Amino acid sequence: MVLETQKALLKSDGTRLDDRLPTYVRPAFLKTGAVKVAAGSAYAEFGSTKVIVSVYGPRESKKAQAFSDIGRLNCDVKFTSFATPLRGKAGQDIGDKEFSVLLHKALEGAVDLHSFPKTTVDVFALVLQSDGGDLPAIITCASMALADAGIVMRDIVAAISLSCVGKNLLLDPTYKEETQEDGSVMVAIMTSRREITQVTLTGEWSSTKASEALELCSDACQKLGESVFLVPKVCIEEIGNFAIFQLPRPPLRN
Amino acid sequence: MAVEEASGSASVVKDVASSMEVEAFRRLFPLQYIERYLDSAVRPDGRPLGRARPTDVVLGQVPTTDGSALVRLGNTTMLAGVKLELCVPSAETPDQGRIAIDFQMPPICSPHVRPGRPAEDACAINEQLSIVLASSQLLDLRQLSITSGKSAWVAYLDIYCLNADGSLLDAALLASAAALMDLQIPTVSINNDGKVQIVSSREKQDQPMVDAEEGQETKSKFVEGRSLKLGPVPVALTCMLHKKHLLADPTAEEEAVLQTVLVVVLDSPDKLISLYKPGGQVVATTSTVMDCIALTRLRLKEVHSILEEATQTHEED
Amino acid sequence: MVVGLSAAEKVYIAGGIAADIRGDGRGRHQFREFNIDTSVIPQANGSARICLGGTDVIASVKAELSVPPPGRPNHGKLEISVECSPTAAPEFEGRGGEELSMDLSRALQRSFLGGTSGAGAAIDLAALSIVEGKLCWALYIDGLVLSSDGNLLDALSIAMKAALSNCGLPKVEIIGGTSPEEEPDYELSGNPEEFTRLETSLVPVIVTLTKVGKHYIVDATAEEESQMTAAVSVAVNKKGSVCGLTKRGGTGLDTSVLLDMISVAKRHSAVLRRALAFAGLFSSPNVEKRPVSFCLLLFRRLDANGCRTK
Repeated sequence: MVLETQKALLKSDGTRLDDRLPTYVRPAFLKTGAVKVAAGSAYAEFGSTKVIVSVYGPRESKKAQAFSDIGRLNCDVKFTSFATPLRGKAGQDIGDKEFSVLLHKALEGAVDLHSFPKTTVDVFALVLQSDGGDLPAIITCASMALADAGIVMRDIVAAISLSCVGKNLLLDPTYKEETQEDGSVMVAIMTSRREITQVTLTGEWSSTKASEALELCSDACQKLGESVFLVPKVCIEEIGNFAIFQLPRPPLRN
Repeated sequence: MAVEEASGSASVVKDVASSMEVEAFRRLFPLQYIERYLDSAVRPDGRPLGRARPTDVVLGQVPTTDGSALVRLGNTTMLAGVKLELCVPSAETPDQGRIAIDFQMPPICSPHVRPGRPAEDACAINEQLSIVLASSQLLDLRQLSITSGKSAWVAYLDIYCLNADGSLLDAALLASAAALMDLQIPTVSINNDGKVQIVSSREKQDQPMVDAEEGQETKSKFVEGRSLKLGPVPVALTCMLHKKHLLADPTAEEEAVLQTVLVVVLDSPDKLISLYKPGGQVVATTSTVMDCIALTRLRLKEVHSILEEATQTHEED
Repeated sequence: MVVGLSAAEKVYIAGGIAADIRGDGRGRHQFREFNIDTSVIPQANGSARICLGGTDVIASVKAELSVPPPGRPNHGKLEISVECSPTAAPEFEGRGGEELSMDLSRALQRSFLGGTSGAGAAIDLAALSIVEGKLCWALYIDGLVLSSDGNLLDALSIAMKAALSNCGLPKVEIIGGTSPEEEPDYELSGNPEEFTRLETSLVPVIVTLTKVGKHYIVDATAEEESQMTAAVSVAVNKKGSVCGLTKRGGTGLDTSVLLDMISVAKRHSAVLRRALAFAGLFSSPNVEKRPVSFCLLLFRRLDANGCRTK
């Protein structure tokens, strides 16, 4: 059965169904300023995974919340009902809630909460289309939106996921690859400081494989972060609206 | 109350205004800021009073749907998607399919929407959209029927507001119509028991297609996929009445401070689908209403040509 | 978690950890003594309660007959959820415990359920299948936090492992309906002596390393957790494979630190597992109906022999 799935996801020449090598990420498209009415916003596309994140605030905290010296970061993730091939499947509340929590955890280490005391910064995400790697796309996009809103951050956060299918490690998996995975890793990294803000791992991994996967992810995040860093600058200087970044391809590992 | 106070001390405002930066004036006295523009017959974004913002329509943006459209009306952005599912038609209307409309304002679209509870505006617009689509002849639900009394399509039309900057109904209606224009009904096969199955495009290539008439010989018959034949597209125009001024297609900033809103929906120059005026301070006279309708007539022509262009561009791609 | 720690208390906690002698006399890499009771809930198929210092949790396993999950006809089902009792801590009242419950549930699911293909799950899912494509066991593992004094996740994972080892599945006799078209016809054995045990050797245990200042500690108390900058929970099974990884706390961690934490967690998990196996001797099937208590007083010695990290 293992052989069967491997055959289905990898072609005879070792490339994936979308012609990528296992350690390649999908072409990414990143742009800030997607939602004009927001304080800051960004749009990200990783293959056919498409997300919009907008940032509001700093603004008054909800009245019900207790007093807090430092600022709050409030995250919320929603899916459109047509994000997945089956209508409304991704819109289940539990999944959304978990994504919101994980997004918060990935960002809170990078945002300087002391810079907006007593107030709240809202980070809202909408997944327009879901095709694997949704959460890392949201995290990367959200950190760009925060930068666009001028929120003080220690660093840009970039995130990437990886699926383990049989013996293969597939970087930046599609939905199809995710449904057949034996294990997965998601890593969010502050790219200049090289610090992991959020990491999750599922499935059974030997130590060597786990460290290989973590290194593969952090390398990819690093490269993604370098590209992301350019985007806000482009917008500040107002050189055109669009900036397309094809990620540099990491060398193939054996 | 703030508005009253401000207008009460109009002379103070004028004095302050002359010494204040534009951006500060705009934030502190939003009404006076806009009124100043209106008095010189121009809008803060440079438009004449009666003109709508530039409008873009792009079809077929979301491959996971059966039909989709992205509409931009100035900064207001709407993404509409239609998904088809099989259903059994109700007993009262055996030869009709169904359409389910859902308009959503996710928290990303506006600073006023917070997660947890749906925005008030969203409910109102959802209701208006449903009424307009039901009363216009845009979509004849009989086209969604497959076999009378046994199977039909239910079309889930979901409209997401990505950026709320005024005149939401106009944009939402345009997005809905465009998504329906883009809608492709998939090919289905009907076997002898009347069981309907969707035939994917790959299977279609494998199996030689059979016409419905010839299909009698084979086990199951095919109903070829098609796009819908739509009636005239209804077009909405939100008009704002303020003192003696009449503004078309207001932005969120204008909507927030001006007095009365009036929405006109037409589907051809002489056919009124809906007229909506929810209270407000200015009592609209008949002639003002006629002016609004006249503006909508102009807009109707404009929108129809935009839609035509969008369809052509889409076909070329 | 803990409200109102004075500045002096904070310094005391951090200073103690830096000096490798914590408030209760433990070193940085020592667990608290713990106590496991099994078969604490008679209605459940398996249950266990663990008291780890002031932390008190119960795990129960309920087995039900069910239909295999779509797309995987030869697998059974495994579901995990955690609830925090409002009496456990003042902040769990009302909706306060919800987020923590979800965090704990997700971390345990991540560690116990394996990948989406079902590979690497704590219990071999294929072993839960009864009739392919038609009938299987569904195991519902529930955790309940009765009292909270830090390190809930490790305690829950130990309780769940013990509850799974304690779990007995009644014998199912297939009478007919094995052909693909028919509905399966089965009979559930009423004899309490007739049951099968689960193979639980691959169920992982979770070790959480909490970083306070420059050092990291195992088995943090609530007071120590309140001073943490980051915590990493690593699930490790018998083979030494990492089965799940969850990070808490906002501060970033260097990749090398993370890898180091994983290897330290692995060493600790070996000791924990040995202690659990020891406890397991007393809950063999023959003495099934008698609640078993086993106080791991020897645990510190085990720690000294098996896992002195420094």
